[in-house]
Formats: sequence, C-alpha cells, structure tokens
Amino acid sequence: MIYYLILPVFSLLLLTLQIGVFDVLFFGKIAPEISLILVVYAGFFMNIMRGGVLSVLLGFCMDSITGVEPGFFLLSYTLLFLICKVVASNIYVRGKIFSLCFTFVCALFEKLLIVLMYKVLYGMNVLSDIMTVSFMQAVITALFTPAFFALFLRLEGLLNAWESKLPDRL
Amino acid sequence: MAPPKRSYTVITALILVAVFFVSFSLYFKLPEKTGFFTKIVLETSVSLGNFVNAAFSSIDRGWERYVLLVEREREIKKLEDEIAPLKREVNDCREMSLECVRLRKLMGVRDIITFPAIAARVVEKNRLSVFRTVLIDKGTTDGVEIGFPVVATRGVAGRVIEVSWNVSKVLLLVDYNSNIDAFIQRTRYQGVLQGRDRAGCELKYVQRSADVRVGDVVISSGLAGVFPKGLLLGTVAAIDKTETDLFQGIRVYPSTDITRLEEVLVIVKKAEDR
Repeated sequence: MIYYLILPVFSLLLLTLQIGVFDVLFFGKIAPEISLILVVYAGFFMNIMRGGVLSVLLGFCMDSITGVEPGFFLLSYTLLFLICKVVASNIYVRGKIFSLCFTFVCALFEKLLIVLMYKVLYGMNVLSDIMTVSFMQAVITALFTPAFFALFLRLEGLLNAWESKLPDRL
Repeated sequence: MAPPKRSYTVITALILVAVFFVSFSLYFKLPEKTGFFTKIVLETSVSLGNFVNAAFSSIDRGWERYVLLVEREREIKKLEDEIAPLKREVNDCREMSLECVRLRKLMGVRDIITFPAIAARVVEKNRLSVFRTVLIDKGTTDGVEIGFPVVATRGVAGRVIEVSWNVSKVLLLVDYNSNIDAFIQRTRYQGVLQGRDRAGCELKYVQRSADVRVGDVVISSGLAGVFPKGLLLGTVAAIDKTETDLFQGIRVYPSTDITRLEEVLVIVKKAEDR
C-alpha cells in the first residue's frame, strides 16, 4: 500500500529532476529520459499491477507537464510497459547489454509513435525532423540505462524492506 | 477459490489496455477545460521544480558563467556592432511613429485596440521534449484562460493551452501543433505559420507567384481570433519554389528565441474579442 501512496510523489519528483536538473547540467542539449528507463525497468522486473500503475502514472504526469497531445505519453508508456512485460516473460532480460539495447529500441519506438501520430492526425511527415534530434537522445538514454537500473533495483529493495517491516512497527 | 496467476496477469493487462484506450479516446479532442488531476500535477510539479531548482541554481549560475564567458564576450562585441545602425533605425522609427499618430488624427481613425497583459515568469521548460511547451507562473487566479496569446520582448512566444490555478502551459510557436494565421508585412500575402521545432517555423499556403523575399517580416493577421493583428512572428529565412507545387515553401526564423524565454506577457482577451 505504501508503494501506491509514494508513487505519485516519486513520479513527480522524478520528472522534475528529469526536466529541471538535467536541463541545467547539460544546457538543455542532451539528457536521458529517465521516465522511459523506469517504464522499461517496470516492464522487466516489477509485477504487472505495480509496474502498470507506475507506467500509467508516469505517462499521465508527462502529459500534464510537457504533453501537447493529451494522452500521448499515457498511451506510449503503457504500451511500452506491456511490450517489456511480454519480452521479459520470454527472454532473459538481466544482461546489461540487452537492457541497454532494448531501452534504445524503446526510445526510438516512442519517437516513431510521435511521427505516426502526426502522420495519422495531421498528415504531417516529421520523421526526418524528429529522428535527427531524437537519435542521439535515444543513445544517451540507453547508455544511462544500466546505472539507473541498478539505482531502481536498490530503491525497490529498500521500499520492499520498509514495507515488510511496517506491520512490526504498527 | 483464487484465480490462477496467469489469468490474473491477463486480466490486469487487459485493464491497462482498456485504461489507455479510454484515456486516449477521452482526450482525443483537446478539452475546453483543464482536468482537476492535471491541475494538481501542474501545481505540484512547479512547486517541486522550484524547490529542486533552488538547490541547483547556484551550481547552474557558476557553471554557466564559467563555460559561457567566451561566448558572452563574443556576443557583446557583435551587439556593439549591431547597436550603431539600430540607433539610427530607432530614431527613424520614432519619426515615423509621430508621423503615423499625426496621420491617424488627421484621418479620424481610431487608435489600435490595446489589450491588457499579465507579466509572467517561465518556471519550467523541457527543451528536450518533442513537444515544445513551457510552464508559466500565472493561472486562473490571475485571470489567465485557455487560448490567451503569449508574447515575449521580441514577438509572439505562443498561446496558453492549459491552465491551472497558479500555473499555465504555453504551446510555443515552434511546436508542430502551433498554427498561426499570418502575413508577410511588406506584401500582405497571407498564410499559416506552422511550427517546425528546431527548424523554426514554416509559412504555408502562400501562392507560388506571391512576392516573398528572404528577410521579409512575418506578422500575425489577427484573423483566427487568437492573436491580435500585427504582432511580430519572425523573418523569412529561406524560400523553396518548386515548379510543380502550388504553394511556396517558406522557412521562417522566429523572432523570439524560445530557448531563452524567461519573462513573458500574457495578453488578456475577452471572449468577445476572440
């Protein structure tokens, strides 16, 4: 239960860090999309309920803060989470190289969804515009993946330990 | 008896699929009013952002001063060179403005309608997102509403697309979703200025035969009812005339540098003005 109570605050804090701090550190030129890494992590290692709620919440918060097409991030993050879940149930996903490559593919897939959305909704072809910028960002996001996976694993461990101790305290 | 684990997983997956389809279909058209939970997220993110930014601002300042010092020096020299002709231009403009006022009085034409404006500070900008938006620190309590135009010192910055109590989301003019009715100031040819992200903007639907030159100023036409007439949008940077195309491809360089937006003015327009 504690997990679901902490989740909204954690999601907002994560996105604030993603938007604000990395913007300062890298002059807004390049930065990892931590929220996407977390969605991939949730798909790989968390159970479907917890991971699903986390993905939906992150998508909603992204939509609220930066989204222009309402519901886009909600849709893409949930879709990516489900894809990751399917992949994790069939393939060994704990390898660093695999997680790195898979996050890269997910980052590109997310951008392709944007291209597709513009094509379907407005008939605009923005493939070259978006991909030239997004390719490097996908690479950076992928490179940061192992480090953030280790961090999320540790955070999840701490949270689980705290949750298991909670009834004793009460 | 409890259901097997596999069916539990499938049910949850189906619920998630349903959630995003329902959400997406609900949001498919831009809502007239911002949702309650969106408002909560906007408000909290800005509060959290302020807290985090306060912690990092000193690092930011030191970092920026150190690394951008050379660039600033170059910029100052360049600006000094630019100032001299501009001073002459200012003097010319002043003369022309006085002349214009005199002519208006003479013709009995009513003065241009000026709208009240609200000054706002940009509190969050995500320069890495494909969607080009910024958050400003004014909301419904200050009188901001969805659709209000937002201008910076050099011209149009965008328009308000979502409002919370103390925060508003501004769609910048370089976003792909931004469409502003505009015309070329010199020749009065009309078109639609569409955002092109990092490539600036594109003025669409201007006939191939229209007289447009690089350096022409593009201003808002005031026809779509969002932006008042005559606001500076940008300058023509490149023109592409293909024999087979009906319209010209006009690349426009926005007058406002959206990467350096700090303070903006939200133009207050009443419903009947829009």
